[in-house]
Amino acid sequence: MAASAPGAASTSKAVASDAKDGDTKDVQKPIAALEEDDEFEDFPVEDWTEEDTQLPGGNTHLWEESWDDDDTNDEFSVQLKEELKRVGKK
Amino acid sequence: MNQLIERFQLCIAEGNGTELAEIFSTKAPASNPGLFYDLRQGSNAQQIEDYIHYTITPRNGFPFDSAEVNAWTEVFVNYWKAVGELISLHESTDQGKLRDGQFGEVYDVWKAYTNSLIKHHNSSVLPFWTIPCLYKALTELRTYAIKADEQSVNTKGNVTFNTGLQDDIVSSVGKNEKLEDYARVLNRVFNMCLQDRAPIEYSRKWGTYYTANLMFKTYFKLNAISLSKNMVQAINAQFDMPPLHRFPNSEIVTFKYYIGVMTFLREDYVQAEKNLTEAWQLCHKSAYKNHQQILTYLIPCRLITTHKLPTSELLSPYPRLQALFGPIAACIRKGNLAGFDAALSAGEDEFVKRRIYLTLERGRDIALRNLLRKVFLAGGYEPLKEGQTEADLIRRTRIPTAEFAAAIRMGLGADGKLLEDDEVECMLANMIYKNLMKGYISRERAMVVLSKTAGMAFPGTGV
Repeated sequence: MAASAPGAASTSKAVASDAKDGDTKDVQKPIAALEEDDEFEDFPVEDWTEEDTQLPGGNTHLWEESWDDDDTNDEFSVQLKEELKRVGKK
Repeated sequence: MNQLIERFQLCIAEGNGTELAEIFSTKAPASNPGLFYDLRQGSNAQQIEDYIHYTITPRNGFPFDSAEVNAWTEVFVNYWKAVGELISLHESTDQGKLRDGQFGEVYDVWKAYTNSLIKHHNSSVLPFWTIPCLYKALTELRTYAIKADEQSVNTKGNVTFNTGLQDDIVSSVGKNEKLEDYARVLNRVFNMCLQDRAPIEYSRKWGTYYTANLMFKTYFKLNAISLSKNMVQAINAQFDMPPLHRFPNSEIVTFKYYIGVMTFLREDYVQAEKNLTEAWQLCHKSAYKNHQQILTYLIPCRLITTHKLPTSELLSPYPRLQALFGPIAACIRKGNLAGFDAALSAGEDEFVKRRIYLTLERGRDIALRNLLRKVFLAGGYEPLKEGQTEADLIRRTRIPTAEFAAAIRMGLGADGKLLEDDEVECMLANMIYKNLMKGYISRERAMVVLSKTAGMAFPGTGV
C-alpha cells in the first residue's frame, strides 16, 4: 500500500483488508491510474452560461464558518478537560 | 478526398472555424471509418498536391486568391502525409506492436502539418477565423510529444546519450526532447497571437488565452513553471488585449486555474485564493475532474488565508479529496497535534507530488490554535459579581501557562513528554505573533492574559 493516498486509509481500508489474501493488484491499480493524470482537462464545450456552473447543492456551506457546533464531548475534548482538572489541582 | 473537399468548401462558405478544424482530424470519423484509407489509396504526394491545387480554385467556387490556394494546398498535403503515419500508428496500436520511436515519427509529421498552418497564419494568408484548426493541431501535437517522450524513455532510457556529459544535463535533454520542442512551437504561436496588430474583430489576439493555457500545461509538465510567469507578464503588457471576461468560459476557467496554482506555488495565497475561487465558480458543473483539481489547491490555500476548512458537504462528492484532506482536516479541527503530524507524514508522498506539502504543514498553526482555544473554552467564565446578570458573563481570560502546556503535551501524545516549558512559551508567543491568539504572556505570574473583548481572544473563531 505504499502508493496509497494519505488518508486513503479511511476509504480504502475496508477494501484493502478484504483483498489482503489475494489480489492486491486489483486494489492498487485504480489508485495508480488516478495518480497518473493530474492535469486540468480540456472542457468538452468551449463556452457555457451561468446556469451551467451551478453545482447541485449550490456553493454555500462548503467552508466551515461557524464555530457554534463546538463539540466539547468528543473523546479528545473529554480527555483534555480531565487533564486540565489535574493541572488545576496541583 | 472528394468528401473532405466538399466538407471543406462548406465550412469555408459558412466561415465555420470549429467545423473546419474537425476536418483535419487525427481519427477517421465514426460515420466513415474507412476515410483515412480512402485518402491514402491511389494517390501519392505529387498527385495529391496537383489535385488539391487544381480543385480549390475560384473556378470551382472557392473564394481564394492564389496565395490562399497555395496555403491550403500545402496544409492539405502535409495533412495527407500525416494521415499515412496515423494509419500505421492506429494499426500498430490495435495490434499492440508499436515500433520504437513510432510516436516520435508521428510527432514529426504532425508538426510539419502544424507548421504549415502557423506559417500561413503568420503571413495572414489564412483568415483569422480558421484558427481553430491551429488549436486542434497544437492540442494533438502536445499529446504526440508526450507519448513520444514516454516511448523514448521506456525503450532506450538515457544511456545512449551518456558520453561524458554531466548526468543531470543528459537526463534533462533526453527525457523531454519532444515536449521541449513542442514548447518552442507553441511559443511561436503564442507570440503570433499576442502581437497580431489586425483590428480586434479579425485579430488572432483572440487565440492568446487558448495558447497560453496550452503553455501552462506544457510548462507544468516540464516542471518549468517559472517560465509561465514571463508568459503572463507578456499578456499583461499588451494594452490592447481584450479583457479576459470576453473570452470563452473554458479558456477563462483554465487560465484562472493555472494562475491560481502558479501564485499558490509562489506562496502568494491571496492571489491564489482569488483566482482559484473564480475558477471554481465559473467551472462547468459537469467538469468533475477539474473541480477536483481546483479544490486540491483551494483547500490548502484557504487554510492559510482564512483558516477555514472544507465541510464534509464540499468533500463528499470527491472521494479522492476526502482521502487526501479528510484525516488532516479532522486533526486540525480537533486541535489534535499528534494526529496532524501523523496525517502529514502519512500523506507526505501525495502532498509533495501535488506541491501542497509545505502549505499544509503550515496548517499545524491552526491545529495548535484550535487546541489552545479549547483550553480557553474549558476555562469557563469569571464568577459574577453582585448585581451582574448572565449577560455580563465574561470568559476567564487569565489562563495559567501550565494549562496550555498540559494541553499541548496531551495533544502531542508520546512526543509531548519531551516538551519543555520554554518551548511551550515559544509556541504561545508565536501564536500571538501570528495574530491567531490575542493577548500577552505574563512570565512573572506564569499566565497568558488574553483579550477580554468578546470574540477577540481567538480572532475569527467567535471567542
